[in-house]
Amino acid sequence: MQVIVVGLIAGSIYALIALGIALVYKATRVLNFAQAEIGTGTLYFTWWLCTRHGLPWFVGALASIAAAIAIGLLFEVFVIRKMMTAPRVTVTVATIGLFSFVLALELAFFAGTIYSVPPPLHPGGVRIGGVFVSWSQWLALGVVCAVALGLAAFLRYTDFGLAVQASADDPVAAQLMGTPRAKISAFTWGTAGALSALAVLLIDPTIGGVLSPGAFSGLFIGGLTAALVGGLNSLPGAFVGGLAVGVIEAEVKAHLDFNAIPSSNVTAMLVIVLAVLLLRPQGLFGATAGRRA
Amino acid sequence: MTVAEETGVVVAPRAERPRRTRFWTERRSNVAIAVLLFVALPLLTEHAMPKLLEQHHYFNLDVGVAMAVAAISLNLLLGYTGQISLGHAGLLAAGAFASGIMTSRWHASMVFGLLFAMVVGAAVAFVLGLPALRLSGLYLGIVTVIFGLAMQSSLLRSSFLSGGSAGVPMFRRVWGSTMTTDNAVFLVVSLLLLLGVWLVDVNVVGTRLGRAFRAIRENEAVAQAFGIPVTRYKLLAFTISGAMAGLAGAMYGHTIGYVNNEKPFDSTMSLMLVIIVMVAGAGRRLAVVFAALLFWLFPSFIESLHQWSYVVGGFLLMATVRTHPDGIADLLHHRRKPPPAPDAADSDGDDELPALPQLPAPARPIEPLLSAAADAPLLEVSDVTVSFGGLNAVDHVSLAVPTGSVVGLIGPNGAGKSTLFNAISGLVPIGQGRISLRGKEIQGLRCDQRASLGIARSFQHVGLARDLSVRENFLLAQHQLAPYSDVEALLMLPRAARAEAEFRARADEAIAALGFEAMADMPVRNLSGGQQRIVEIACLLVTAPELVLLDEPSAGMAPAAAENLATRLRDLRDALGRTVLLIEHNVPLVLDTCDYVYVLDAGKLIAEGAPAEIAANRAVIDAYFGAAV
Repeated sequence: MQVIVVGLIAGSIYALIALGIALVYKATRVLNFAQAEIGTGTLYFTWWLCTRHGLPWFVGALASIAAAIAIGLLFEVFVIRKMMTAPRVTVTVATIGLFSFVLALELAFFAGTIYSVPPPLHPGGVRIGGVFVSWSQWLALGVVCAVALGLAAFLRYTDFGLAVQASADDPVAAQLMGTPRAKISAFTWGTAGALSALAVLLIDPTIGGVLSPGAFSGLFIGGLTAALVGGLNSLPGAFVGGLAVGVIEAEVKAHLDFNAIPSSNVTAMLVIVLAVLLLRPQGLFGATAGRRA
Repeated sequence: MTVAEETGVVVAPRAERPRRTRFWTERRSNVAIAVLLFVALPLLTEHAMPKLLEQHHYFNLDVGVAMAVAAISLNLLLGYTGQISLGHAGLLAAGAFASGIMTSRWHASMVFGLLFAMVVGAAVAFVLGLPALRLSGLYLGIVTVIFGLAMQSSLLRSSFLSGGSAGVPMFRRVWGSTMTTDNAVFLVVSLLLLLGVWLVDVNVVGTRLGRAFRAIRENEAVAQAFGIPVTRYKLLAFTISGAMAGLAGAMYGHTIGYVNNEKPFDSTMSLMLVIIVMVAGAGRRLAVVFAALLFWLFPSFIESLHQWSYVVGGFLLMATVRTHPDGIADLLHHRRKPPPAPDAADSDGDDELPALPQLPAPARPIEPLLSAAADAPLLEVSDVTVSFGGLNAVDHVSLAVPTGSVVGLIGPNGAGKSTLFNAISGLVPIGQGRISLRGKEIQGLRCDQRASLGIARSFQHVGLARDLSVRENFLLAQHQLAPYSDVEALLMLPRAARAEAEFRARADEAIAALGFEAMADMPVRNLSGGQQRIVEIACLLVTAPELVLLDEPSAGMAPAAAENLATRLRDLRDALGRTVLLIEHNVPLVLDTCDYVYVLDAGKLIAEGAPAEIAANRAVIDAYFGAAV
């Protein structure tokens, strides 16, 4: 039971990454390989503000989110917007560029030392029916649910949100409805940045607050797998996929982590991805993503 | 040169000057390699190699050459085929571990180690690619990025491979206990391997393999219509790429003498390979090799550059794909050689369309239909329905195209004409009904299989590989005629070289017949709409297809050219003996050229008959101009 709860909480954070990937994919048919790295880069802001200037965690967290949104927007304005008609593979390669750029900056300035970000809440937690859930985990659970519901409501009940959804199916029609494509694209990438920062901020306390370049590749892999399980272009799919991947990972870690294959949870992700592509390429909720060649 | 002479050449490959020269040059390059190998072998003794540089300089060069091989490997996949691999370091690591285990644990020679590395690299790539490449999209990127991390953090640390994270030593064992420890000697070995990989890559580009890869990169539907089994070729590209990556990894490993899960094949190496290929110029071998050498040599000489190389690399990658997606090499290329004067491809050239080339029958005719019933119409569509999400885009349509006729298919926008074409050519599956070619049911076949039965189709937006030149498109169009296997192509064995020479001759002939010699090496996208269209139709004809499906050939043409098109369509039937099914918006053109006309509206057939009957049909007039009030 403890394993499942831990898995669900990690999975809900994967779901944030998966939501970012799915949102970008849905609106622009581009895979964002920088989805977790943006937030990793901006977490150094949080570290800097909290440890060097003694500011509270929440201030540092807000700064990190703001910086991540800025990175998303800058990337959209300077790169994505110039590539509206480019092949999707080329645009995807551009996100690889962003990924390596952010990672390389981390490496150039912070390589060699492992930094530590203070926890958002007091250590400790509550035990409910034999399952221990720390305050940080409660925070993660609450924030993820709020964000997912908020995003879903925004996309479903506002005109702009509907336009974002429509732009995926028919960019021309969306434009005719009076919503400029550039605005939708900017919204998508800004949101992707915010989701990235949030996910990293929330998962960091669960791994002891460590911060080093590329420390959250596992988060990205989990989120990417979750997005694929959910069908790549489905937001509810991404959420459910995140939870599923989190639970599977926790179970594998608990029962199969033997010395023959260390970190078998990462290998499990590879197996999940290959299995999904073989058996159900459209994912849990995807409609058209897995079109046969 | 008359057609008769050419016919003789194509059917019976005998002495003919230009071809022979070509063939000889290819042969000669093989001979040159063999000679070079035998000259180089004596150098492989440690005493013969001059000590020009320090050992650690040779060491850096060895690493640079290994990475050049890795860059060629990724270029084949990403540059030619347009498929992303973000886990290439994982493939390199697989090769390195394979060769390391072979030479250290099994005491085998490095020769077998390197071979084993290639086999393992290819096998791993095949297994990863099989689920991912069946689908169109960026799935290979997802699989490979996870594979790369799984290799690094999990699989390579498994106890049977390396005993925890201890890794494997990599001996440069020649045989028995003889080792080559000299980095200079190993450089000669590395350069020979690079040369070999380079030549294989040259052969890929020069045969149907490379053309298929590049067509897939540009447009999978067009590639399929040319008879290319897309999944098979994507998988082939990744497998070849995997073999090369395995070799590169083994070369790197034997240079440094020891590999483990983190050194040297970590995920940043995968990133750097993508950066190198894209920034230098996707699909440009020389640029990519040069960039790989530069990138691995510079920081190794200037230590302070090292930590910044990835920052610069990531920035360059974003900047390059944004403004010059074809890379720096393309930029330099254009600066050096300005594109030919625009009047060659001016839309003025549209007014007169050249006559379609009358080509001799191909050397290997398209597979004849075995169960061909002579009296059946060439194409018969019975009761076909295609639906998208509950909506019937084509609704219980039946039509027949008799051999030797031109049949028209007209209807307002959104009537389902192109969808019906896609169903006939196999790009969309049908919900119910039958499609038969000469009495043989074909609805269960893939698009490329139908193409090889003799169905050729054009596309509304010109079904050519628009980045390839006119000549390359004519070569691409002959894909199904190639009599050689993939291995013969990779090694450019005589049969492949001979067939390629024949293809080039046919392409030249077709280009000459069109009078397009001046544009032969221009990318198709630089041609005017009318020129592209006539090249497209001529490309369809090089394989002598049974049935030609033309989707709005007059779209994008100047009015004068469209008028000219009528003559060309009649030529297709009368002079070339083809059977044509034609979609057209230009109703006068259809009434003028077709023997029989079908009218489609909202997915249903609303009328059929001879052109004169259609012109007078009330329902047709209503469909086009709205119901009479």
